[in-house]
Amino acid sequence: MADNTPRPTSGASQTRLGRQEKVTSWLAHHQLVAVETLVKLLAKPAASLLTWLVIAIALTLPGALWMATDNLQQLSGSFQASGRITLYLSETSSDTEARKLAERIQQLPDVEQTHYISAEEALSEFSNSSGLSEALIMLNSNPLPAAILVEPPLGLSQANVETLLTTLKRYQLVEETQLDLVWLERLQAILLLGERLVLVLGALLALAILLVVGNTIRLSIAARVDEIRIIKLVGGTNAYIRRPFLYTGVWFGMVGGLLAWVFLIALWLILNGPVTQLATLYGTGFGLRPVSTGAATTLIFAGMTLGWLGAWWSVSRHLDEIEPKA
Amino acid sequence: MAMVLFDRVSKRYGGSGSHDALSNVSFALEKGEMAFLTGHSGAGKSTLLKLMMLMERPSRGHVLINNRDLSALKKHQIPFHRRQIGVVFQNHQLLFDRTVHENVALPMQIAGYSPMDYARRVKAALDSVGLLHLEHRNPIELSGGEQQRVGIARAVVNKPPLLLADEPTGNLDPELSAEIMKLFTLFQHTGTTVLIATHDIDLIKRMGKRRLILDHGTLSEASYGG
Repeated sequence: MADNTPRPTSGASQTRLGRQEKVTSWLAHHQLVAVETLVKLLAKPAASLLTWLVIAIALTLPGALWMATDNLQQLSGSFQASGRITLYLSETSSDTEARKLAERIQQLPDVEQTHYISAEEALSEFSNSSGLSEALIMLNSNPLPAAILVEPPLGLSQANVETLLTTLKRYQLVEETQLDLVWLERLQAILLLGERLVLVLGALLALAILLVVGNTIRLSIAARVDEIRIIKLVGGTNAYIRRPFLYTGVWFGMVGGLLAWVFLIALWLILNGPVTQLATLYGTGFGLRPVSTGAATTLIFAGMTLGWLGAWWSVSRHLDEIEPKA
Repeated sequence: MAMVLFDRVSKRYGGSGSHDALSNVSFALEKGEMAFLTGHSGAGKSTLLKLMMLMERPSRGHVLINNRDLSALKKHQIPFHRRQIGVVFQNHQLLFDRTVHENVALPMQIAGYSPMDYARRVKAALDSVGLLHLEHRNPIELSGGEQQRVGIARAVVNKPPLLLADEPTGNLDPELSAEIMKLFTLFQHTGTTVLIATHDIDLIKRMGKRRLILDHGTLSEASYGG
């Protein structure tokens, strides 16, 4: 007893901590709280299962939509270069000149095939397909120009297609060019819409996650009111009190994000078979692409950030209401 | 040098019709002094202690602790102010989800000490209240007197310059009460300023310390031993 009895010399003076020691012990406390809260959550998974599932579902929905647009983008990517170029030739060009040009273009590196359509062929094709043959007969001269159809090889990137287009425009015989990309532009527009939808849906569901985590944290604050009072009484700062709740929120988000990843993999497994079958029927080798590791990481980090924010919001709202009482 | 200084402090709760819980209270406690605060229940003892802990703010007047005017303290400074005051309550306010050791360690942990630094201090504090052998028990298994002493160990573990106690012997028999008072005297001898609110007049008389008496919010002072 004698050794441990407070000595008169030290009784009234509190020991002060240096900055180095403060930082070290601050980090140590973070580590301690992080581990403690995670262990607490995992020790009683049933208690937080509902929260995890809600977060997971809220993350899965935009994740799935994102997966869909990502795959459509991949699909559109493989079609992009099949944009066929039509070159309309000037009226003054002769048939021989035009055929020569078609052959020359055929030699260009980014050209798979060319097909020459003379003015006469164009007229007959048009009169057949339009049903205006009688009206056309009344015309004195053929109003249609000769044309060369240029097919770039499959899988050529859009940039290369455009470079090819500029090259082709330089030929003197070529009066007008047309790149057949309208349907592709429509698909792009739809994809853009899809991306917007992911954002809007994502924002709404992010809000849902904030509310769910906030509510869960509110309940756990209510369960620890006594502890918070005592900590405040012996000089605990708000940051100290907040810490375990913030970590709990982060872990909620992390587990929710991991579960969402699992859900998306399951979704992929379920859909990949039918999609591949459908693609085969259309004669393409298209297969559904799973969620990339990068996207999954983003999902998990989004979950953690939202969990942290939800917890912060909840603790900030309730912390001031809890004051120590004698 | 005064450790505690009340300068014409009044505290009024609620609306205009209510009376003053404290009215125009002035007194000083010197560093290392020990005093008792007595009075009927509702006389304002708890209010006075709460003002020192910044659990309440005065309606008028100033409270100075360690020469620092508490009215100048901002909200975020309150935790750091409380760290220099050890406080013991009649309802000991222990946490039953952790051991006695962890309960006593709480103020050290909050102040940013590492377990290595505070383990010895916690043991010393528990030893000084004679409970070292119960270190690893849950406080719920302890008797009322033992719980009270754990509360005292927690109040002194950080070696605060000021120790406050609100009815620390309220639920205890005379023998245990005397023992607890002896503990407070021991802390006073180490240089701590001690203020104890109690209605246990017999005990105070035997201790022969300074006595502050509150009556309906008004303070008077009895002579030593009175």
